[in-house]
Amino acid sequence: MHFRVDRMEGDVLLSHSDKRGKMGKERTDLLRGTLDLLILKTLALEPLHGVGVSRRITQITAGVFRVSFGSLFPSLHRMEEKGWVEAEWRASENNRRAKYYRLTSSGRAQLRAEERDWIQVVKIMTAAVESA
Amino acid sequence: MPGRIASFLRNLLRKRAIEQALDDELQSAVELLTQEKMKQGLSHSESRRQALIELGGVAQVKEEVRAIRSSMFLETLAQDLRYGLRTLRKSPGFTAVAVLTLALGIGANTAIFTILDSAALRMLPVPHADQLVTVGQDIRGSVSRNVWDDSSFVSYSEYQLYAKQNRAFSSLLAYSPVTEYTLVTSKPQPIMGTLTSCNYFDVLEVRPEQGRLLADSDCAAPGESAVVVLSDPAWRTTFGGDPAIIGKTITLNRTSFRVIGIAPPGFNGTVTFASAFWAPATMVKAFFPTKYDLGDDCLSWLALIGRLKPGVSTQQAVADLNVVASALNSRQPGRITTVTLTRATLLAMPSMRTPVLIVGGLVMGAVGLVLMLACANIASLLLARATGRRKEIAVRLALGAGRGRLIRQLLTESLLLAFLGGAAGALASYWWVAALLRFLMAHLPTGPNVALAQHLSSDWRTWSYAFVLSAATACFFGLAPALRASRVDVTLAMKEDGAYSQSETISGGRLRSFLVGAQVTICMLLLLAAGLLLHGLYRAQTVNPGFRMENMEAAAFNLSSAGYSHQRAAAFQQQLDDRLAALPGVDEVVQALSIPLGNSHNGAGFSLPNGSNGFAVEYNNISANFFQALGIPVLQGRTFTDVEERSGAHVVVLSQSTARRFFPAQNPIGQFLRGGDPAIGKLVEWQVVGVVADAQLAELGNPGKLYLYEPAGPLQQADLKVMVHSAVANPAIGKEIDAAVGGLDGALNVTIGPLSETLEFWREPARVVSAFSIILGVLALLLASLGIYGMVSYGVSRRVREIGIRVALGAEDRDVMRLAIRQAMFPVLAGALIGMVLCAAVSSVFSGILFGVNPLDPGSFVGIPLFLLAVALLASYIPARRAMRVDPMVALKYE
Repeated sequence: MHFRVDRMEGDVLLSHSDKRGKMGKERTDLLRGTLDLLILKTLALEPLHGVGVSRRITQITAGVFRVSFGSLFPSLHRMEEKGWVEAEWRASENNRRAKYYRLTSSGRAQLRAEERDWIQVVKIMTAAVESA
Repeated sequence: MPGRIASFLRNLLRKRAIEQALDDELQSAVELLTQEKMKQGLSHSESRRQALIELGGVAQVKEEVRAIRSSMFLETLAQDLRYGLRTLRKSPGFTAVAVLTLALGIGANTAIFTILDSAALRMLPVPHADQLVTVGQDIRGSVSRNVWDDSSFVSYSEYQLYAKQNRAFSSLLAYSPVTEYTLVTSKPQPIMGTLTSCNYFDVLEVRPEQGRLLADSDCAAPGESAVVVLSDPAWRTTFGGDPAIIGKTITLNRTSFRVIGIAPPGFNGTVTFASAFWAPATMVKAFFPTKYDLGDDCLSWLALIGRLKPGVSTQQAVADLNVVASALNSRQPGRITTVTLTRATLLAMPSMRTPVLIVGGLVMGAVGLVLMLACANIASLLLARATGRRKEIAVRLALGAGRGRLIRQLLTESLLLAFLGGAAGALASYWWVAALLRFLMAHLPTGPNVALAQHLSSDWRTWSYAFVLSAATACFFGLAPALRASRVDVTLAMKEDGAYSQSETISGGRLRSFLVGAQVTICMLLLLAAGLLLHGLYRAQTVNPGFRMENMEAAAFNLSSAGYSHQRAAAFQQQLDDRLAALPGVDEVVQALSIPLGNSHNGAGFSLPNGSNGFAVEYNNISANFFQALGIPVLQGRTFTDVEERSGAHVVVLSQSTARRFFPAQNPIGQFLRGGDPAIGKLVEWQVVGVVADAQLAELGNPGKLYLYEPAGPLQQADLKVMVHSAVANPAIGKEIDAAVGGLDGALNVTIGPLSETLEFWREPARVVSAFSIILGVLALLLASLGIYGMVSYGVSRRVREIGIRVALGAEDRDVMRLAIRQAMFPVLAGALIGMVLCAAVSSVFSGILFGVNPLDPGSFVGIPLFLLAVALLASYIPARRAMRVDPMVALKYE
């Protein structure tokens, strides 16, 4: 239906868009790409559970991106099906059980590939935008 | 991607465990979030509330994860199917009616398709049938040609030329379509068989069950190899399954043939009619001494089938054969030959395929119309049910179901109904095909001796057709209601109470009107067709064919196939004439080539002597007393003299319409016509000696058909049939005739019956078609009435409050009735009008079996619509009466 942007002191809230809206779906695809990269990056450092991934993303983007769980969990599960991440149940910091995600070797390869692609895209877009 | 497949399977098989794991994960996430917020100082309950808000709702997140899952499609399908089954089970009445209706409609369609497919579309039931093509010859130009069966057939020498000089076929076979012969055992009996080229079985890649099959050596010396191959069913029934049959001789048409083998069970060659034996085509003169000559180049009697060489296309083959055809052209100056190729199916003759496909198409069209009617009915029912399910749909939409998902689920319900109906119908069609064939065979005018071969059966094509038809049907009746049903305004639907709803949008009413209108159109079309056909049948029952049939007995026997020479036949006919004339009570004995309204038709092209005004005219060779015996008045001139008859002079008597056609302005007596004499194979000039009144001898319902009479000369004697007229009714005349014939030749197979029976053969197809169309028409009427009844009743129930208000304000019964009915009558009238126009447009197709009834017969076109409107009014009146009985006090309080 629509893509909600809440301007909150420079924060951009990534809301999951309704699959009914075509406009929303296109935006979702673009955002999903960047979301994947962010998730893979955070997991490269250490295994995390879902909430942890969300917090870490906010942290490494200097507080700008706040990922909604309606986008995060589907992405995590999709990556799990593709074999980029592995999951295991462990005790969390509060001694509660949580599902921790860990990067696999193919996940690391995927991360490196996506990092390369992203840098390319940025270069091209910057050049395009800055041309007269 | 083995990982994806593994997870797909895992998702599918361990669904419960996975759902549990997801639930655990999300619950743990809520826990973690709660912990986090408690650390920031909030209370436990407040933390938990905020945690849930931040998560976004456990159910929603679960939905999002599920949507991503790779096995989602199958899961949703399974879910929809389960839900659909549950919904259908909850309303067993509706489900039963819908499935039954669909089973009838789809089953009937499938049955007709099976018959058409087997007869006209399917390839021959032999190995590698896709390489087989039928070769037909089209001859134009000024050449005379004698045609048996079909003009696309070839002569034996032409076959040999094509076979030897072509480069496109690995082999070419020829056969003469199934004909009746006489098997002489203790008593002569008819037997059907095929004459073929000796490579017939090789080309068709058939192995014998016993003995051997025809080989090339059997055709080497024409007329010498009197061998025959029997079919398996013929061996078992006619010859009692004699284990020592190989090597025995049987007598066919007076010649002894040695049985050399039995064909495998289930093999019937390249024809539809059951063939009891196969014999070399080179033996044709032994079968018909007076008719066929192997060396006759101008006789079309053999059908050709060729096996294409691998890699050769039909275009290449046609080009190659046309080269051979041009060689034939140079042999006969003025001849232009073209060759046509079609895939070999059971209907060998292209001239037969077209009418079968047309008739079959019409029948399928009619049955298809009824199916559409049924669909419209079911669609209306679904629409009504959808209104009742608004709340359920609104709730689901509110919970986040996508509209597409909802439509998918509703469509799945429709598909379920359709496939249930379709499966039942396809099963039923097995029996219906068999029953239909039995019925058709019993009632078609092809004579009592033919039985359709067994391979008209259902196979995978039947099932796929039923499947596709079911799916299409489901879309037809399910799509529109599904789309409408999902377009529910959630808030409005949730606020609604009970049956009174304001949200019946304009488009919903329009859709229902359209459905009713369509039903009435189809109904009108079918009823009008039925009405026309019935009228035609009535006409056929009462029509005066223009000749006398009472106390007339006809005897048919085939002297030429019994091996008679011309002289012997002439002697036989004379002796028979004497014997029959001597029978007590007999006052006329007539000989004729064709029995009035019988099966044999002979036609030739006639023109004025200068070649202009050429028409195809049907002719009959007759004895001179033909007109007197049959009560056909001679209008001008005279009948034939004895001399003319004995010598076979070239004189003709014309029917009145024929005389008018050729000689509109002058006296035809003494004039000449140019036409072919098939007995001598040449064009001759015939002198007109008489004109008689039109009589419907060739076909019923067409008295103006061009017809002329020639004398039954010495060269026709072997083919003549006999008719005997008694002064008073004599029930034993049949036996007496049989005895007279038997006394002259005990081995002759005779068919005897009253002349009025031939009329039955003509009426039967009309009866069959009429019965069929009446059944369909009544069915259509029933369904349409139900549709109208449902619409009016539904409309009334929707507007109860409005009616109550109007009555309270002083509306009378009449006004209320008018209100209730008016909405329904508009689509009914529109539909009826369209139906009438459609029927008028296509009714000329039927004129063949209308027996002279005008395709736009005003009686039918006025009576039937009135009848339909009356029924429609009745169907509207009954539910409308409920409107009148509305008590305004109750209605105003009606929730």
